[in-house]
Amino acid sequence: MNTTRDSQTLQPPLVAMRGLSVVFGGTVRALEDVSLEIREGEIVGLVGESGSGKTTLCRVLVGLTTATEGTVEVGGEPLAAQLARDPLAFRRRVQMLLQDAVASLSPRMTIGKTLREPIIIHDLPREAALQRLEQILRRLGLPPDVLAKFPHQISGGQARRVGVARALVMQPQLIVADEPTAGLDVSVQGELLNLMLDLQQELGLTYLLVSHNLNVIRRVSGRTAVMYLGQIVEEAPTQQLFDKPAHPYTAALLSTNPAIDPQRRTRRIVLQGEIPSVVNPPSGCRFHTRCPVAQPRCSVEAPALEAVADGAPGRRVRCHFPFSLDLQR
Amino acid sequence: MSMGATPTAEAAGSVAATPLVRITNLRLEASTPRGTAHILRGVSLDIGRGRILGVVGESGSGKSSLASCLMRLLPTNMTRLDGEIRFDGTDLLALDEAEMARWRGRRIAMIFQDPMTALNPLFTVATHLVDVLRRRHAGISRADALGRARNALTSVGIADADLRLAAYPHQLSGGMRQRVMIAMALLVEPDLLLADEPTTALDATVEAQIVDLLDQLRRKFAGAIVFISHHLGLVAQLCDDVCVMYGGTVVETGPVAEVLARPRHPYTRALLECEIESDDQGARLVSIPGEVQDPVAPHVACVFAPRCKYAQDACRAGVPPLVAVGAQHMVACVRAQELA
Amino acid sequence: MNTLAAVGATLRKVCGTFTGATGLLIVALVLACAVFAPWIATHNPNALDVMNRFSPPSGAHWLGTDHLGRDLFSRMVHGSSVAMVTAMSAIALALCLGTALGILAGYLPPRSERFVLIVFDVISSFPSVVLALAVVAVFGPSLAIVIVIVAVTLIPHFGRVARSQVLTLRSAPFLEAERILGASWPRMVWHHVLPNILGPLVILASMDIPVVISIEAGLSFLGLGVRPPQASWGTLIQDGYQYLSQTWVPVAVASSALAVATLGFTLFGEALRDAVDPRIGREHA
Repeated sequence: MNTTRDSQTLQPPLVAMRGLSVVFGGTVRALEDVSLEIREGEIVGLVGESGSGKTTLCRVLVGLTTATEGTVEVGGEPLAAQLARDPLAFRRRVQMLLQDAVASLSPRMTIGKTLREPIIIHDLPREAALQRLEQILRRLGLPPDVLAKFPHQISGGQARRVGVARALVMQPQLIVADEPTAGLDVSVQGELLNLMLDLQQELGLTYLLVSHNLNVIRRVSGRTAVMYLGQIVEEAPTQQLFDKPAHPYTAALLSTNPAIDPQRRTRRIVLQGEIPSVVNPPSGCRFHTRCPVAQPRCSVEAPALEAVADGAPGRRVRCHFPFSLDLQR
Repeated sequence: MSMGATPTAEAAGSVAATPLVRITNLRLEASTPRGTAHILRGVSLDIGRGRILGVVGESGSGKSSLASCLMRLLPTNMTRLDGEIRFDGTDLLALDEAEMARWRGRRIAMIFQDPMTALNPLFTVATHLVDVLRRRHAGISRADALGRARNALTSVGIADADLRLAAYPHQLSGGMRQRVMIAMALLVEPDLLLADEPTTALDATVEAQIVDLLDQLRRKFAGAIVFISHHLGLVAQLCDDVCVMYGGTVVETGPVAEVLARPRHPYTRALLECEIESDDQGARLVSIPGEVQDPVAPHVACVFAPRCKYAQDACRAGVPPLVAVGAQHMVACVRAQELA
Repeated sequence: MNTLAAVGATLRKVCGTFTGATGLLIVALVLACAVFAPWIATHNPNALDVMNRFSPPSGAHWLGTDHLGRDLFSRMVHGSSVAMVTAMSAIALALCLGTALGILAGYLPPRSERFVLIVFDVISSFPSVVLALAVVAVFGPSLAIVIVIVAVTLIPHFGRVARSQVLTLRSAPFLEAERILGASWPRMVWHHVLPNILGPLVILASMDIPVVISIEAGLSFLGLGVRPPQASWGTLIQDGYQYLSQTWVPVAVASSALAVATLGFTLFGEALRDAVDPRIGREHA
């Protein structure tokens, strides 16, 4: 269902971020030296709390925020160059589902008009595009009468689907989904996620899925990256990340999501202190101030994001002492 | 937890014989432009002394309204509030506003979801805490009050208590503010503490700290806690009893381990299936088809029937009563026994 | 709900209150007088009949005549045209220019924005009467001058409100979504920003009408507005004032017209504001 292409493939990744840094106003280091690859057809999960930089990363990827340092390549070509050369083509390629689905729709425009916006903006061939839109609406289970309604008249779930429809009209390659299940009841989350997964299969979409709901990440994404204070601290195939987290922060984060089934419950790891400010991050390893297993070296030397020693492909961790915090069951 | 209607359940209870709060047939209606909305449709519930009751439900379940009823802080468009809330023998609904005001902040305290808006931005933390103390202990001296406030902050895990006492709410982080709220609630020394989604607005690791705090505090706290949440995992970890609500009614209640391991109501079952806990990435995710019943619709049958895969004519014939299916385990489903 | 239905619903709400209904009635009356003045007026407002000067209200002259024998009723009715034309044009002009400048200020980089705001402040610091005196001294009095002056003094008013609306809206998710879709800035402003800020501005405009009516009357009273013999409530009061010892009727007539019109528009404007306020009752599309 959620496929991870064989990492041995020699095709260039759809998205390649290298050494990406974003600094706001000279002081707020929102992203620090981020390197991440997204292969075509993958669903990559992105996890992190406030200040982790995941929102900034998404904004860079869709071209809303410019990188201060580093490169971002989409489809082999630098993002900045694409935006300069043909911004509309880039927009058709990378789309985003915003967190607040209802607020992402223009309040005084009917849903129908909002859905036709991409057709007008990109000057898409009308007939074909409208037909495609009709098909998409049917596929998403949106009744035709929704077109005449205004955003405040539709439910949160419907608003999300309208957002998906709007993105799909342009036939994008990559969709950045920012908290797609936030605000949705558990009983309806499944429907939306199934839909997203089906679309991935049918249309060959690639997703970057940002969510604080670890259950969703675990079920849906093939590979997950964990961010803390502007850096990626761990990246691994999802299964491995959840079963045996290498970074202490990952372990602590996973333990914050208690399982209903007592058999699956791990021990509770409670971190001390608050999330530090991005303006003045801690020296050395940024996590050392809250790390339960920090050593003297951690406050002095900043670890690099490196492949994990046990040889599992695609696993990277930014820690001097990985696997030192165990999620004992 | 026991229900007054079935004497056997009550006698069999191993908890304290009389619950701290007994809610009987609570009905709450409000007027909306589209008609009268039934927010709570005959809720009956017991809150045991010294126990944590988790109230879970999705949107439209009425769980937050339940808390509002217990505090009697109700919306202005409320048209009808019936039933009984017996708090240690006194019917809260029969009290007039002045008497109820004496209960709030003395015997019942509440912590809210959004600590940003629950604290007054114009007052320091010290003022908030001293305010609470003055109300609880009339005539307490300021020095005495500040001393207790300092201790309260330390007991909720705030280091540099003196520094924080002088701070204004906007100078504190979300987690810190929530701790201040908990400190305020505890200073009241209430018999009943209501926590309405106290961790939902916080980051995961901060949430873990607050949950840990609540877990530690409840060992020292003599009163009962009602923990409202949509996070089943949290409730499973923290609470003693659980009450599952749907569409303004209680569909299942009982000891948390029992209810979550052996759910008897189709909704509880379906809800647990929707919780994505398995690793099986190949299987399709479960959801419950349909939508919650419109609150304006009249209540003459099982509220969950339209979406229930086990629904039969008997379910649509009348409102199912809460019946016992085990020790303190109650379910509102006419087919509960046969579906076991 | 489309715009027409929304307008209809709002008007119904306005009529719901006594003050709103009264305001709406007066507004309708004044507008009718203004538009249909030539038909409603019984006489030519400038027709002299010196023999019958200062005649009291009678069958021939419903409200009597002024010092030159001109029918007061007709002059009053035509005065409403002047008031309405001035109010509507001045406000329309100020609304368009103010909104445009306000939107610009909301999107410009800080330095340019500062400049626009300073321009607003400078204009605001001039009382309209002083400005009128200065302009009239150079160009001579006329209705067009009044309209332009009033419009200019109102620009900062709308400009600031428009700007603050734009500032709140700038980080709205739906605008970000449009940017991600690839919408150009002009498209975003015209299709997405403007419709969402127009509401409060229109209410403001309707509440400014009584103000402009009074300003026009005041300027005309001082001789800085319409030129005689054109009838304006202001000139009517001025004329009547000169002959107050002879008869109080002209002053009373013109003042009452002014007062009633101002009151009517004020009541209507406030009822409109309340009708649209989402906190009082339901929100409108």
